[in-house]
Amino acid sequence: MNQLTNQLMSYFKVDAFSLFIGGFALFFYLLTRVYSLSFMRGRPGITRYNAYLFLTLISSWGAIFANHLIVFLVFWGFLGLLLYLLISFGQNERVPATAQKAMIIIGGSDALMILGLALIYHLSGSLNINEIHLGTDNKLALLAFICLACGALAKAGSMPFHSWIPDTAQDAPIPVTAYLPASLDKLLGIYFLARLTLTVFKLTPGLQTVLMMVGSITIVAAVMMALIQHDLKRLLGYHAVSQVGYMVLGIGTGIPVGIAGGLFHMLNHAIYKSCLFFCAGAVEKETGTTNLDKLGGLAKTMPITFISFLVAALAISGVPPLNGFASKWMIFQGVIETAHRGGHLWVLWLLAAMIGSAFTLASFMKVVHAVFLGQASQEEERRVGIKRETKPLMWIPMVVLAFLCLLFGLFAKAIPLDKFIFPSMGYEAAFPGVWNSSIATLLLVGAVFIGFLIFLMGTIMKTRRTEAFVGGERLQDHPEMRVSGTDFYHTIQDMRGLKGIYNLAEKKQFDPYEVGIREVSRLTNVMKILHNGILPTYLAWVLLGAAILMLVLMV
Amino acid sequence: MSALIFLIIFGFALTSILGLVASGIDRKVTARVQYRVGPPLWQPFIDIIKLLGKENLIPSGASKLAFLGAPLVGFASVVLVATLLWKNNLTPAQTLGGDLIVVLYLLVIPAISLMMGGFASKNPLASVGASREMKLILSYEIPFSLAVLVPVIKAGFLIRLGELINFQAQNGAVAGNLSGFIALGVALLCVQAKLGLVPFDISEAETEIVGGPLIEYSGAPLALFRLMKNMLLFVLPFFLIIVFMGGFKVAGWGLLWSVLKYVGLLVVITVIRNTNPRVRIDQAVRFFWGPVTAFALIAVVLAFLGK
Repeated sequence: MNQLTNQLMSYFKVDAFSLFIGGFALFFYLLTRVYSLSFMRGRPGITRYNAYLFLTLISSWGAIFANHLIVFLVFWGFLGLLLYLLISFGQNERVPATAQKAMIIIGGSDALMILGLALIYHLSGSLNINEIHLGTDNKLALLAFICLACGALAKAGSMPFHSWIPDTAQDAPIPVTAYLPASLDKLLGIYFLARLTLTVFKLTPGLQTVLMMVGSITIVAAVMMALIQHDLKRLLGYHAVSQVGYMVLGIGTGIPVGIAGGLFHMLNHAIYKSCLFFCAGAVEKETGTTNLDKLGGLAKTMPITFISFLVAALAISGVPPLNGFASKWMIFQGVIETAHRGGHLWVLWLLAAMIGSAFTLASFMKVVHAVFLGQASQEEERRVGIKRETKPLMWIPMVVLAFLCLLFGLFAKAIPLDKFIFPSMGYEAAFPGVWNSSIATLLLVGAVFIGFLIFLMGTIMKTRRTEAFVGGERLQDHPEMRVSGTDFYHTIQDMRGLKGIYNLAEKKQFDPYEVGIREVSRLTNVMKILHNGILPTYLAWVLLGAAILMLVLMV
Repeated sequence: MSALIFLIIFGFALTSILGLVASGIDRKVTARVQYRVGPPLWQPFIDIIKLLGKENLIPSGASKLAFLGAPLVGFASVVLVATLLWKNNLTPAQTLGGDLIVVLYLLVIPAISLMMGGFASKNPLASVGASREMKLILSYEIPFSLAVLVPVIKAGFLIRLGELINFQAQNGAVAGNLSGFIALGVALLCVQAKLGLVPFDISEAETEIVGGPLIEYSGAPLALFRLMKNMLLFVLPFFLIIVFMGGFKVAGWGLLWSVLKYVGLLVVITVIRNTNPRVRIDQAVRFFWGPVTAFALIAVVLAFLGK
C-alpha cells in the first residue's frame, strides 16, 4: 500500500511555484463560488454547474502539481472539456457555437501538445518534468517546444490562439468567464509557459525574440480591437487577450526582472480581470444588459461596484501606485535590460508595451464613462428610482479583489514578490530602476491632504446643485444631446490605414479559427457536389473508380 | 517624515510658486505679443485666491465623490512628481521612490483626473472634451516615449533619473548631440499637448466647447485644477531639463544657467502657443503619429548610431 502511495506521489511534485499557483487557483475558486451563489441563483442545472466548477479546481490542481507529462496532459485535457461544459450554461443562442469554438481551439492545441510530448520522450527518454533539460538548437527539440508552447499560449489566450476568449467572455455566464479565461487559464497557461522556458527548455536568443514579438503583437492588436467594442463583456475579453501579451513579453525577455514581472503580471491580471468581470456581472444583473450604448450614470446607484471597477480599471491601465503598474514597470525594465545583449528590436517591444497601456487606459475611460459616469440613457433614466446596489454576495468578491489591487501595488516588494514570485523562481531579481511604492503612496496621501486643506480654505463645505450648462438649453429637453462614450474613438477608427484593418478585423479575417472554418467549408462544398443522393451517380462513380483501378493494376 | 517635509517645501510650495510665476510670465508675454498691456505678474495668485472664495456648484445628478475627488487626485499626482524630480535633481546619488518610467506614468494622472472630472460632470460638452483629451494622450504618448528613450540609449540603458543626471554631468547634456536635440524638440511638442496649450488646447477649446472637462467646475475645485495646470507649466519643462539638459543646478553660477534653460523652454512654449491656431483632434492625432513620430524614430536611430 505504502509502495503504491509512493509511486503515485512520484507523479506529483509540490514546490514553491506550484503551491503559489495552486493556492491562487483555490482563492479564485472560492471567490467565484461565493459570487455564483447570488449570480447563478434560480438558473437551471445549478448543481451540475457547481460540480463542474469544483471539478475544474481539482483538475487544475492535478495539472499544476503534476510532475509527469502524461499526468499533466490528462488533467489539462479535462480542463478543456470542463470549459466547454461550463460555457454551455450561457443563455443566448450563440452559446453552442462559442463553446464549440473554445473546445476546438483548446482541444486542437492539446493535440499539438501530445505531439510535443512524444517528441520530448523521443529526445530525452523521460517524461518526468524535473528530469528533462533540452536545448532548442536542434530542429526536433525546437518543434517539441513550439508544440508545447502552442498549448500554453492557447490556454492563456495569446495571439494567434486568442479568438475563443472574446466570444467566451460575451456568451458564457460571467462567473465562468471570471474564473476560467480571466484567472485560472492565465495562471495555468503562463505557469506552464514559465516551466517550459525556465526549466524544461533552454531558449536560444532567437526564440526569445520570437516570444517577445508574439507578446508585443498580442498587446497592441488585441487592445486596438478592445477600443472599438460596444459590449462590455466582449471588450473585457479583448483585454484578457491583450494582457497576456505582457506576460509573454516579460517571460520572453529571459532577464530575471522581466520574468518576475511576467509572473507578477499574471497574478495581477487574474486579480483585476476577475474583479472587472464580477463588476460587469453586477451591472448585467441589475440592468439586464451589457451593451455600452444602453447603460450610463450607474455611479450614483451602484457606488460600490463603481469604486471597485474604477480601481481595477486603473490597475489594468497601469496607473501607479496600483499593482498593474508594478508588474508592467518590471516588464519594461526586463525589456530595456535585453539591450545589453545587443540588437535594437527592444525599442519596438518597449514601445508596444507602452502604447498598449495608453490604449488600455483609453478603452477603460470609455467604459467608465459609458457605464458609470456620463449621462444615463433614456431607458436607464426611467429606472432611476428602482435601481440599487448589487447584493453583498456579489460585491464582497469585487471589493476583496479591488483591495488586493491596492495592497499588491502598495507593498509590491514585500508581499507578492517576496512571498510568491521570487520563491517560485528560486532567486531574487535585481531592479535596474527604482520604484518605492510605499513611500510614493505616503507622499501621495500627503499631497492629497494638502489639496484637501486648499479645499477647506475655500468654501467647499457649501455646495449647491445646478443644472448642467449647455449654452442655455435645458438638457432634459434634448435627449439626443447625450454622449454615450461608445463613439469616443471614431476619429482613430476612421484614420487612413487603420480603417481598412478594422474593417478586415470586423469581418474576422484575422481570426485563424474563422478563416480555417471558411476554407474547410469551401473544400467540403466542392465535395458536396459529388454527394447528391442519387443512386445512379454513385454507381457511376463506383464504376469509374473500378475502371481506374483496373487500369492501374493492369498496366 | 523628512520625505513629507521635503514634499511640502519643494514638491508643493516651491513648485506652485514657480508654476504660478511661470504662468504670469506666459500671460504677460502673450499680452505683449498681442499688443496688450496684460495682467500683472502676480495675477495667477490672485485668480487662485479669488476662486477659493467663490461658490461651489455641482451639476445635479453627478457623483459628488468623483466630481470633487478628481481635482484632488490630479493635484496630488503633480505634487508627487515634483517631489520626485526635485529629490532626484538635488541628490542624484540617493534616488527616492521613482525612475524615468515611474515619472512618465505619473505624468498621465493629471490628464486622467481631468477626464474623470469631465465625465463626472454629466455634461455632453465635458464628455466631448474629455474624450478629446484621451485621444490626445493616445497621439502624443508614442512620440513622447520614443523621445525619452534617446537619453536612456545615450546613457547606456540607465533609467534612474539620478544616473541620467550624473551621466550628463560627465559627458555633457544629451541635447548637445544631434539625436538628443531632435528628441528634445519632439518632447517639447508633446509637452505642449500635455499642457493643453494652443495649438493643442483641443480638449478645452473655450470658443467651441466652453472649457470642455472644466465647464461645470467652479470655486475651490476649479482653483485646484488651475493650480495643477500652472504647476505642470513648471514640472514638465523641469522634467525635460533633467532628462535632456543635464538637470537643474542650484549652486553658484549654475543657478543662473539653470534658470536660463527653463526660461528658454518657457519662451519656446509661449511662442508656439501665440503663433498657431488650434488644430482639430484628427489633425492632432495625424500630426503626432505622422511627422512627430517619424522625427522621434530618426532621433532613436541616430542615438543608436552614436550621433
